[in-house]
Amino acid sequence: MEEQLNRKEERKERKMRGNFARKGLLWGGVFALFGAGAWAMVGLVPEAPALEPGADIPAVVLEDHAWGLETASVTLVEYGDFQCPACGSYFPVIQRLKEGFPDSLRIVFRQFPLRGIHPFADVSARASEAAALQGKFWEMHDMLFERQREWTADGDVRARLAEYAEELGLDTARFSEDLDSPGVRDKVERDTLGGNAAKVQGTPTFFLQGKRIQNPRSYDEFKSLVEQAIQQIP
Amino acid sequence: MNLNHSLNKPFSKFHKWLLGGFLGLSFLGFLDASYLAAEHYLGIPLTCVVFSGCEKVLDSEYSAIFGVPIALFGAGYYAAIFVLAAAFLETRRRMFLNAAAFLPLAGSVVSLFLVYLQIFVLKALCQYCLISAFITFALLGIACAFLFSGRQLKQDAPESV
Repeated sequence: MEEQLNRKEERKERKMRGNFARKGLLWGGVFALFGAGAWAMVGLVPEAPALEPGADIPAVVLEDHAWGLETASVTLVEYGDFQCPACGSYFPVIQRLKEGFPDSLRIVFRQFPLRGIHPFADVSARASEAAALQGKFWEMHDMLFERQREWTADGDVRARLAEYAEELGLDTARFSEDLDSPGVRDKVERDTLGGNAAKVQGTPTFFLQGKRIQNPRSYDEFKSLVEQAIQQIP
Repeated sequence: MNLNHSLNKPFSKFHKWLLGGFLGLSFLGFLDASYLAAEHYLGIPLTCVVFSGCEKVLDSEYSAIFGVPIALFGAGYYAAIFVLAAAFLETRRRMFLNAAAFLPLAGSVVSLFLVYLQIFVLKALCQYCLISAFITFALLGIACAFLFSGRQLKQDAPESV
């Protein structure tokens, strides 16, 4: 009698253990499935950038705005739009590159205003060119990116740009005149056409040594790309 | 000792299809939302592109609540639906089914609002967000079909010991 009861208990226990194993397997499987799914999705997000061959870009010429030494071994060209938030978020990265490679890197900025989505892209591009005519392109470039939130939210953007010009010590009358001059408009247009020829479709688009690069996700990635390019110099 | 006799009948073919679709869709929703969340956290290269849809939507102020991307909530939401549906399959308790059906109902309201934001406020559409909304509506449809078609599910299992 007692033996029978024991056997019954044992059977029940075995069944329960089997049940536990089954349940464990099921939920473990669900957990693994979701883990694998999430992992795969993280993997799908584009990988670290690498130098890749792309369309040719116009050579750096005298009328380009170039920062750095002419003897620098590596040239980085940025096609940018002052109203583009992405360009704004790359601005501090570029500043750090300037500090990190004072002798070996030359940085060129070319206008690529996305007029279709940024109503002030064109006028801000012209503002930087107007400042360039008074020798202060990079000062205006820096100011436009540093205060992007301010002037892009402004109703009277031209007045704000004139304020910036004054703050930079520019001749404001001349600045306002140059802002609408054919020469300045043509310069912006030439840059944009060059970008179109190089198949630039968005901003910022970077070319390192004339080769298009995928936008690095961090300063460190950018830095290592530049270092890589420097090492490739024979 | 078997408690769930009323629900232990095998599912009809129709219900099997519904359940399979429910599980499959919620998993797809999870993949979609995790992709968006991963993109948020890995800070994929920002670019301004003409006709940008996703960037505009995903970089907008509506894309995160207290710094947590909505997509992450979405991933949790789909995972919860999947787990509840699986729990229902395993235990046959109506409670789980009700919960698995309620979530897409709430999710549909949220999705409608997010689609509204895309169309009328941001004026940009992000395909991955639209896929998610579509999946949620489909889940709601399946849940309704399941709840209103199954006579065998009418009464819950008695909670006796």
